[in-house]
Amino acid sequence: MELSEIVTTVVQDFPYALYGSILVGVICAFIGVYIVARRVVFFGAVLTQVSVLGLAMTFLPFFALPHAVGTLVVTLASAVVLSRMLTGRKIPRDAVLGFVFVSSIAARILILQKAPKVEASEIENLLRGDILFVTPDIFFMMLGAFVAAAVIHLLFFKEFTYISFDPETARTQGFNARIWDLVFYLVAGVVISFATHMVGDLFVFGFLVVPAMAGMLLSRKVNAIFAIAVATGVVAPILGLFLAFRYDFPASPAIVAVACAIVGIAWLASLIRHK
Amino acid sequence: MEPIIEFKNATLGYGQKVVLSGISFSVLPGEYLGLVGPNGAGKTTIVRTILGSIPPIAGEVRVRSASGSALRIGYVPQRDTIDYVLPYTVREVVMMGRYRKIGLLRRPGPKDRDVVKQSLAHAAVDGLAERPFRDLSGGQKQRVLIARALATQPEVLILDEPTNGMDLPSRISVLDLINELHQGGKLTVIMISHLLDDVANHVRRIALVEPNFFQIGHVDEVLTAKNLSTLYQMPVDVHQMHGSKIILPGGRSHGAQ
Repeated sequence: MELSEIVTTVVQDFPYALYGSILVGVICAFIGVYIVARRVVFFGAVLTQVSVLGLAMTFLPFFALPHAVGTLVVTLASAVVLSRMLTGRKIPRDAVLGFVFVSSIAARILILQKAPKVEASEIENLLRGDILFVTPDIFFMMLGAFVAAAVIHLLFFKEFTYISFDPETARTQGFNARIWDLVFYLVAGVVISFATHMVGDLFVFGFLVVPAMAGMLLSRKVNAIFAIAVATGVVAPILGLFLAFRYDFPASPAIVAVACAIVGIAWLASLIRHK
Repeated sequence: MEPIIEFKNATLGYGQKVVLSGISFSVLPGEYLGLVGPNGAGKTTIVRTILGSIPPIAGEVRVRSASGSALRIGYVPQRDTIDYVLPYTVREVVMMGRYRKIGLLRRPGPKDRDVVKQSLAHAAVDGLAERPFRDLSGGQKQRVLIARALATQPEVLILDEPTNGMDLPSRISVLDLINELHQGGKLTVIMISHLLDDVANHVRRIALVEPNFFQIGHVDEVLTAKNLSTLYQMPVDVHQMHGSKIILPGGRSHGAQ
């Protein structure tokens, strides 16, 4: 396919694939900077698996909610539990996350083995998310979550900054670290659950980690790190979709591969700069 | 003069786990108090109780300003409790000291920027304002954290191991700054340190903290070989050299007088 043909196909036939992947790319990249800065990258991976579990649970007769709602309920409940468990001292943070990660995957497999009246391929497609078939409903739901998350982060920028930089001193000044952590994890949970439902776990986890790395490699200013991460969240989906159409690749891996390539270039640039 | 911090037969700890009991002491405005003791003895527990992070299990703890309002405390944590992943500038770090005063849903205003500027100058780190905090030396970082505490416009400055892991010039520089803030700035200072020499030669009052051994008083009265030997459960000697106290393990006092 030629470039003009690809652009026409994407814009006319799959507009929400383009808008949706950019939207998810931007919001996951933004939240990802905090997630990387807080050293809870595995938390992103865990919540994506919990979201997939929530989606799988909606196939159970007693949890027969709409897919998006079921995903959201399970993800938010897990985010609340995790925010408590991650501040405990008895078990290391990584072990807690690892426990939730493996138990989510195991539960999902067991549930799907026994889920009635569903084709395996249908479940598989839903769990992986398919960018090309993002519907307007799902897109606008994601847009709502994006706006809410962006507003919360803009309004409480100071609190999130202080709690992630120096929670002990923030606490002495009257900031309730537990509450702010909970707010942060709930916002991340909402975004991750909607985004996973929309574009799949690979895309979401990739964009929670990779754009933040590009920002950190290319800049030594916090604002610029956020800006570079968000820019990666815009550029990678556009280029990735183009490559997916041009070379007949699956969309999500192509987009994540482009983001990884941007990190590779950023790493080389940082090496050259420090020589 | 009314005390601004007062512990009356207080039992301190986490939840129901008692760390220290029977603690009674008070701090007057303008004092310079040192808290020393072995690791895990309960120094940080005392500070966390003063900061209001944990309530006393029993007894009474009163923390109030001379005017009766809430005491403004500037806290300087140990440097290793801070996460250095994001390269916040020194100015941004010091501005965090204003976040409580700025309040929810508001951005820093001209007054906040002025206070930050003054705090940077006071801690002699104004030349570093645009540098990433994480790239600074240990001594510079400590000065920046002191500047951030000053930005809260405190009545009391509480420092947790401020000279830990520093080379000699940095240690002296930070201790001189704390002295200057105490004497020139009229700040009440409470300093936790396991470096006995640092505390012994700078504070006026000292508290020896251990679960079964709590003593507080003037440095000369409390910092005796007998008390320190009891505190650390090993022989400890206290010597004077050129007007400064030197504390050494027993039997290793060659050259000290």
